[in-house]
Amino acid sequence: MPRWGMVIDLDRCTGCAACEVACKSENNIATVAPEQAALGRTISWMRVMAEVEGEFPNNTLRFAPRPCMHCDNPPCVKVCPVEATYISPEGIVGQIYPRCIGCRYCANACPYTVKYFNWYAPTWPESERAHLNPDVSVRPKGVIEKCTFCHHRLQKAREEARAEGRELRESDYQPACAEACPTRAIVFGDLDNPRHRVSELRHDPRAMRLMEDLGTEPKVYYLTPRT
Amino acid sequence: MGMRVAWLRRRVAQVRARPGEFGIVAAALLVVSGAIVAVAQGPGVAQPIAFNHRKHTQDLQLDCELCHSYVRTGAHPGLPSLETCAMCHQATQGTTREAARVTELVAQGRPLTFEKLFRLPPHVFYTHRRHVGIGRLECRNCHGNIALTTRPPARPLVKIRMGFCLDCHRRSGQTRDCIACHR
Repeated sequence: MPRWGMVIDLDRCTGCAACEVACKSENNIATVAPEQAALGRTISWMRVMAEVEGEFPNNTLRFAPRPCMHCDNPPCVKVCPVEATYISPEGIVGQIYPRCIGCRYCANACPYTVKYFNWYAPTWPESERAHLNPDVSVRPKGVIEKCTFCHHRLQKAREEARAEGRELRESDYQPACAEACPTRAIVFGDLDNPRHRVSELRHDPRAMRLMEDLGTEPKVYYLTPRT
Repeated sequence: MGMRVAWLRRRVAQVRARPGEFGIVAAALLVVSGAIVAVAQGPGVAQPIAFNHRKHTQDLQLDCELCHSYVRTGAHPGLPSLETCAMCHQATQGTTREAARVTELVAQGRPLTFEKLFRLPPHVFYTHRRHVGIGRLECRNCHGNIALTTRPPARPLVKIRMGFCLDCHRRSGQTRDCIACHR
């Protein structure tokens, strides 16, 4: 059974935020009004974190795209009272929206703060409505939502492969962020499959994971910058 | 509270004394409960044509895929458009009034819109491709004997709930992962 994961090369990331935009349009993520955004209610399953290093004029900006880590030992799953969030056999941490009661325990338990609460029913301008992705639900008010590694793409790719009577290839299933990344900083695949690039990259000496000391065993690896 | 109980006791005693009144009360209750059930179920699905599935699938031996064109390849199987009907109904077929109406519609070029009978909740992501095209399930596995009906049913012949799906998934050893259907 595959174990899906991601390797993000921070040396290649230019902070262009194409991954963020691709994610939002792929997953029907609603935009939030400025005053709500000021309250920290923005929803962004993939977010490019920026950090300023050094003092002006000798400063640099460092970027790190941050999706859900899809931990092997997810703290969010442990606190959910209704099993609305759980880890699938393939290691994807799923969120079942009709089950979610909106208690937000998981959002508080997540050390990476990648679970987002829907404070309002999502709205789009009329002209945007036709752009919604039919493969992904539109979440109602009062539920938590999160990155799914574009799991719907996996299902589509699997269907395609089965209909054609062949094995699933690495390139068949890529989340929207990895596909959109112009510098190919985001690499996605099966961590346990030696033919997939991620399985090699995660053993790179530069590879690290966020907050590894917590024992959450994230499946998103970062390759630290060389400089 | 005590007063009410006393009133109810008196009322029951009165009704017992006069069996005729008991019958009226029972009949009224029956009518009211019937009306509630009918309202709760909704008016059902009405079709523009009283399509006879039995005639087409059994007597004429037509394949389901002829009218439900995307049943093996798409998420939705598709409902026939007037062009599909026109393949045969350009000239009058059979002797029924409905068949004559179809020919009339074809001649006038007026659109024919069939209504969906089986509907899944919006948070269920189901594809016919996966189940019929790849899994090779028969239509009747989920739709019951729809092919044998002579009139369009107002309500689905099979109530498709999550338990119904899971029963089959369990029996056939298919995935029971939540995100396989809900996302």
